[in-house]
Amino acid sequence: MKDVIDVMELQREKIKKVTPLDYKKLDFNNGFTPARFIFECGVKLRGQPLTLATAAVIMHRFFREVDPANYDSYLIAASALYLAGKVKDDPLKIRDIINVAHNSLHRGSSPLEIGDEYWNMRDAIVQAELLIMRVLKFEVGTVHPHKFMLHYLKSMERWIGKEQWESIPVARAAAAFLQDFHHDSSILDYDPRHVAIACISLALQCYGVQLPLMEDTDDEVWYNIFVKDLPKDKHWEIMEKIMETYNREPEPNA
Amino acid sequence: MENKLRRYEKIEFLGEGQFATVYKARDVETDTFVAVKKIKIGTRQEADDGINRTALREIKLLQELHHKNLIGLLDVFGHMSNVSLVFDFMDTDLEVIIKDNTIILTTGNIKAYILQTLQGLEYLHLNWILHRDLKPNNLLVNAAGVLKIGDFGLAKLYGSPNRINTHQVVTRWYRAPELLYGAKQYGTCIDMWAVGCILAELLLRVPLFPGESDLDQLTKIFSVFGNPTEETWPGVKQLSDYIEFKPLPCIPLKNIFTAAGNDLLDLIESMLVLNPIKRREASECLQLPFFSNKPAPTLGSKLPLPKNVRTIRDIEKPSLKRKILDAAEGGTLSKRLLF
Repeated sequence: MKDVIDVMELQREKIKKVTPLDYKKLDFNNGFTPARFIFECGVKLRGQPLTLATAAVIMHRFFREVDPANYDSYLIAASALYLAGKVKDDPLKIRDIINVAHNSLHRGSSPLEIGDEYWNMRDAIVQAELLIMRVLKFEVGTVHPHKFMLHYLKSMERWIGKEQWESIPVARAAAAFLQDFHHDSSILDYDPRHVAIACISLALQCYGVQLPLMEDTDDEVWYNIFVKDLPKDKHWEIMEKIMETYNREPEPNA
Repeated sequence: MENKLRRYEKIEFLGEGQFATVYKARDVETDTFVAVKKIKIGTRQEADDGINRTALREIKLLQELHHKNLIGLLDVFGHMSNVSLVFDFMDTDLEVIIKDNTIILTTGNIKAYILQTLQGLEYLHLNWILHRDLKPNNLLVNAAGVLKIGDFGLAKLYGSPNRINTHQVVTRWYRAPELLYGAKQYGTCIDMWAVGCILAELLLRVPLFPGESDLDQLTKIFSVFGNPTEETWPGVKQLSDYIEFKPLPCIPLKNIFTAAGNDLLDLIESMLVLNPIKRREASECLQLPFFSNKPAPTLGSKLPLPKNVRTIRDIEKPSLKRKILDAAEGGTLSKRLLF
């Protein structure tokens, strides 16, 4: 384990110019690629953040149960998005999902005509949905870190002071870390409250925020008022996992 | 998957709804009766939309809810392109009991039914869930006299301030006035109105407000409570479907429920209030004197049953004993979601 979390490493990503990914050239990448696909399609479909998080969790859980080589990860991703829309009462229309998914995979192509290809895709998504449900044993409810994070951040606003709080985008950064961490299947391994704390910690470190009235001692950690059962090494481990997610991002035009 | 089909032996056809067919079956592993709800794969159009939203809502919510007065989801399984839900088997429901004129409902009986309804509903509301379709037909009763709230196909999480809901919920006769006026943001009060209507129906043995249209429904409600004004219900005129009614007088509830005591009238008056924010919550209603006053709520085993269930109960004496024991231990079986 490293001694320090190198937040400067995050900076180098910004220099790169964002170019659309060519999914056809990407491999499964331990679930990163289908997750990236879910978030790209989901944002285009204007899905709620919790719907997209649900879709990513469903997809990661599915691929933990099966051999990824046996399934088309984009089909599963599209189907997970459709299912998540139903689970979260955030109606994503199947026709829209097909169009957005098709266009993201075949950039610049015109919308799919209503024909055999369209109906085959629609059938495939619906069949995959049922398959996912069965593989997940019909347990599709998820406890997300988001609600915990919101609660913690709300409390911290008072702790740090409204003025300083508004001058530093800690909440925004923490939310971004949380969403990005959904690209990695290791999000399934941790308690949602612990994930929320780790995202906030990382955001605090990025901006070098010192919490008032906190002594830098070994036996006291800032998050103790929120969670009591998060050991330091576990906390560190989650932060490293979040950072690693960014290393898995494919190089543009790779 | 084959073993799931073998695990639940079909006994008889119970009924058919819009989205599902329900069978009574025997769970050979536990030797108990269960109700298997097989979600219909209808026309090609429906099948193409994939898993039925109603069924998914029931699965998602009931997996997380466990209360003796809520129907228990024991198992879910898929076979071919079907999904089947396995529930506690319930012998009858309040609609059948209300309509059966060989049954006499005493205050103690009614107290037992409403108490169980409110306890289930209190738990539901504490978990931020609205049922949105309470009616006698969805209050299921088993031979041991345990009442369980069923049919969570319209249930939904509430409390999110920016969420717009549809007002086209709840069967019309039990629909609260704010829904009839097109309110899109509402809370637990819509379920409380429905319970008020059900309580009234237990007393009257006919629906309190059997409206023939949405407009007729409001007319029937206002002919009892008088029409709402900005004083009695601030903000009513801002509701999207608000319409002015000609002034109607208010009838004292005592004149409608002639046999009801004052404590019972207080309970009805707590739930049937035009202004939704003045309606009391399930937890508050449970604290009312009606539930601590005499007579005590009738014991489950002493509650009346419709004739067809009664004979079954007599034939199956030993199993009844077991059911009562089960009920005493908290009722529902532990949930299994084996694949």
